[in-house]
Amino acid sequence: MDIRLLHPSDIPHVQHANITNLPENYFMKYYLYHALSWPQLSYVAVDVSRPKKTLYDYPRIVGYVLAKMEEDPPDGVQHGHITSLSVMRTHRRLGIAEKLMRQSQKAMVETFSAQYVSLHVRVSNTAALRLYRDTLGFKNEKVEAKYYADGEDAYSMKLDLGFIREQIQDEQDAEADEGEPVGELGSKEGAGDLTVRKKDEGKKRKVRVGRGLGVGDLVERDESQKA
Amino acid sequence: MPQVLSTKEQSLFRTVVRNYEDKQYKKGVKAADQILRKNPKHGDTLAMKALIMNSQGKTDEAFALAKVALQCDMKSHVCWHVYGLLYRAVKNFEEAIKAYKFALRLEPDSAQIQRDLALLQIQMRDYQGYIVSRRAMLTGRSGMRQSWTALAVAHHLNGDLAEAERVLTAYEDTLKNTPSKTDFENSEAVMYKNSLIAEQGDIERALEHLESAGKHNLDRLAVLELRATYLTQLGRKEEAAKAYSTLLDRNSEYKKYYDGLIEAMEVHLDDLKARKAVYDGYAEKYPRCDAARRLPLDFLHGDEFRDAADKYIHRMLDKGVPSTFANLKHLYSDSFKKETLPSLVQQYIDSDKSSANEEPKRNGDTSKGASAAFYFLAQHYNYYLSRDLDKAMEYIEKAIELEPESVDFHMTKARIWKHNGNTQKASEIMEQARSLDTRDRHINTKAAKYQLRNDESEAAIKTMGLFTRAETVGGPLADLHDMQCVWFLTEDGESYVRQGKIGLALKRFTSIYNIFDVWQEDQFDFHSFSLRKGQIRAYIEMMRWEDHLREHPFYSRAALSAISVYIRMHDVPLLNGANGVGHSDADDAAERKKAAKKARKEAQKAEREAAAKKAEPNKPTSQGSEDTKKKDDDPDGAKLAATTEPMNDAMKFLTPLLQFSPKNIDAQIAGFEVYIRRRKYLLALKCLLAAAALDKEHSKVHEQTVRFKLALDKDSETLPPKSLEVIKSEFTLLAASVDLTKFNDEYLAKYKDCARRALSALKIRKLLNPESSSKCEKDVAAVISLPTTTVEEATEALDLLTSWKSSEIEGLRSKAAAKWPKATIFAAKA
Ligand SMILES: CC(C)(COP(=O)(O)OP(=O)(O)OC[C@H]1O[C@@H](n2cnc3c(N)ncnc32)[C@H](O)[C@@H]1OP(=O)(O)O)[C@@H](O)C(=O)NCCC(=O)NCCS
Repeated sequence: MDIRLLHPSDIPHVQHANITNLPENYFMKYYLYHALSWPQLSYVAVDVSRPKKTLYDYPRIVGYVLAKMEEDPPDGVQHGHITSLSVMRTHRRLGIAEKLMRQSQKAMVETFSAQYVSLHVRVSNTAALRLYRDTLGFKNEKVEAKYYADGEDAYSMKLDLGFIREQIQDEQDAEADEGEPVGELGSKEGAGDLTVRKKDEGKKRKVRVGRGLGVGDLVERDESQKA
Repeated sequence: MPQVLSTKEQSLFRTVVRNYEDKQYKKGVKAADQILRKNPKHGDTLAMKALIMNSQGKTDEAFALAKVALQCDMKSHVCWHVYGLLYRAVKNFEEAIKAYKFALRLEPDSAQIQRDLALLQIQMRDYQGYIVSRRAMLTGRSGMRQSWTALAVAHHLNGDLAEAERVLTAYEDTLKNTPSKTDFENSEAVMYKNSLIAEQGDIERALEHLESAGKHNLDRLAVLELRATYLTQLGRKEEAAKAYSTLLDRNSEYKKYYDGLIEAMEVHLDDLKARKAVYDGYAEKYPRCDAARRLPLDFLHGDEFRDAADKYIHRMLDKGVPSTFANLKHLYSDSFKKETLPSLVQQYIDSDKSSANEEPKRNGDTSKGASAAFYFLAQHYNYYLSRDLDKAMEYIEKAIELEPESVDFHMTKARIWKHNGNTQKASEIMEQARSLDTRDRHINTKAAKYQLRNDESEAAIKTMGLFTRAETVGGPLADLHDMQCVWFLTEDGESYVRQGKIGLALKRFTSIYNIFDVWQEDQFDFHSFSLRKGQIRAYIEMMRWEDHLREHPFYSRAALSAISVYIRMHDVPLLNGANGVGHSDADDAAERKKAAKKARKEAQKAEREAAAKKAEPNKPTSQGSEDTKKKDDDPDGAKLAATTEPMNDAMKFLTPLLQFSPKNIDAQIAGFEVYIRRRKYLLALKCLLAAAALDKEHSKVHEQTVRFKLALDKDSETLPPKSLEVIKSEFTLLAASVDLTKFNDEYLAKYKDCARRALSALKIRKLLNPESSSKCEKDVAAVISLPTTTVEEATEALDLLTSWKSSEIEGLRSKAAAKWPKATIFAAKA
């Protein structure tokens, strides 16, 4: 299984993996929105050993992590967010989810100066909870009552990414580079809007954000039903 | 002369525009009407009203009104702009572009019109036009990086890489200060420029640029990957090796990096020891790494393979990793490995290793190793290259005995039933697996899929409904459409084909066609969004992917299914409109005729109702509910199935198929079938030649070659002599003087042991020589006794005999039933 960056052409199969594994689903446009806003953050696991059937075979995706930066974070702190993570049942327990997550976390710090990463998980999802808590070191932030469409509660979890910042620092020191710590993003004007609809939103929502570059133009107001 | 508004009305007009922008449509219409009362011929107001009405869903009235507006004021850019927007809304991009261009000629300084035009041009891939537009837009806003980047993108997509680079450099030269290292937009611009340099083939310069301008780039991974690639291309092996090892330290699960490293280290491919050592290094360094342990299995042989595989398997079985087999099955193309792997697993079981495994045990579960081993063997015997379904069943039962609650084990058991051809049992067992973990959607998905394979459409959608969103109007099926669940729609459609419910089948395949339309339309917003975000490389990648979106197998599969339905409708016209009427073999022609008539009537009625609804005054729509779903006026596809021109309708699916997947032999075969029925001989021949170029010995290519010759001979009188000449000179697959019977006999003799090809040849023999019918039918039935015949091929034979209404059907069926006693298709009907 290769672990590599998600490309736009992977999206139909990522969408397929998502709707096969999870009840929280999204339109293709929402995947494109991730892939074209933060192309460094989403990763896929690919079964490369399958023999090709036709010239037009696309790589078969057996796992993916769809991730983003929080736009306009309420606390003002740059941070990443896991929109969705899943691995096909036939390929579980190979360490795929863990590795996908680690790649994404690293890029969140390197490219977007994320301080932490957040996510939601069903309180009953023991496999995911063990992965997040025990393997990756996430902490429970709070319980969000009836977060999911079917009424189940979610744990809202967080992982401080300071340890990655330190790693990067060490690497840079080792390279004898005097890389400055990565600071705030630029703040040129550049506003606009993009309409993206996803499952949990009843209707299209256009939100204009007057500032911020890299901090995008699309703000999700409704954070329900994710990952 | 256009009417001139008073000051008061001018301000009212501004209100109309604002209302439109704020989506206050009712207010907008009211204000417009107020102006129009005094100035009934005010073009701009009429146009704005049309625009608003269009947003309210009254497309036809909007177009009519927009035309009136233009008649009143041909010289108004507003009227033309609106006209373009209306065309844009109905996706007639060519007309929209024309209208925008008119508008722009009247108002050359309008940034808004220029922008709308540019977006459509790039959506339509009118690169030349886009360059012109972008250049004009740059003049207006040359201070912004975006304007420059956009022009560079235009040149890039147009294939002029050097010019694209020049534009980026021109912008850089205008900068007074060096942008800060954390300026994300600049960081991405550097990488974009780097990709342009590399794409021009100047790797030396690309590397130089990367190491200077890209040194502290925020996209660290891209820099590292490009550096490794460039160094390799430049033959700077030592540095390349270092670059790859840096990448492997980041991500040791990417085969490409290992390959790059080994190439750079100049390890000879035959030096397996040295190659293995590289992987071992990483396996040791990263205890949780899978690739470093697994990849050497690809190239090792003999004892070395055995040792490495043994270690790998032990580790996985001890841990109870259910996906061990999935991870190794690709090795089965090598027969030594195919033998070795199961024997290692058997040894693992025999040595009792399983009860004393080395890895720490989880929750004191002792059965893990043993059950995982049995599970492996069950999958082994279920795999097509090593299939022995009885053994597979034996092992899966052993595994289940140890872990009766295992979802995975039951899943495999269901698959074994599937391979036995018993869709019924398969569906039952998968349902059992589902019930063991009702919270996991993956197993739920599988259960639904197996229900569809067993043609339990209702049950399947119910199963799916356990995980779809409850609030969606229209229930689970609507939700699956909304969420673009391609697999379900495809399987559902294919099941309806089997059930003879042609309307519903076409309905599903058409949904997939429409999903691809949506996916194509989806890129539109990104033409502006990506420039603002500054993520140019990702945008370019999306553009290139969208360019051939419909080559995706998700599309071809649905398209091929739809086309074959249309072909059957053409051949057996009475099948039309039948939802629920059996196959073409259903004897009761009168019954079918009645059903078809009824379906057509229903379709007409639905159409009338829809038309009536349109005529109704629009009910007030609530604010912002612009995308309230339109009611489907043909939910069961009755209209689709009532078509009198199935070959025309098939073209909709076929055209993109041939355009985007020309090297897919099934596409060419389908193309031939459609064109020959439409008597488009040149096009049919083109498909045939393309298919023959891909696989000359393909059974269908053989059939079609003969059929083409027959059709040509028969129709040569009616063809224009010129085309006949062209066709004859192109059709070189057969000699002009060929004896078809002999040609066919030779093919049969050559492939008598291949069921599929033999069936094709027999089909042709009967066609060439109807007197040989009964012998042909007997020979078809005999195909079943070939040792290599598969269930699918046997089913094809059965279908063929059925279509001939042959007396051999029963004989074939009982023989097949004896050969595949577990298969449902051959079971005697109660
Ligand atoms: C949760 C999920 C993504 C884990 O994927 P995976 O690739 O199998 O996970 P990994 O192999 O990387 O597991 C890493 C660690 O997580 C824990 N873990 C994973 N699956 C587990 C399970 N079923 N039970 C207990 N622990 C589990 C283990 O600690 C494991 O480490 P180990 O194998 O060394 O013991 C996968 O089970 C899945 O796709 N589930 C359905 C979708 C879903 O729930 N997604 C998460 C939504 S928030």
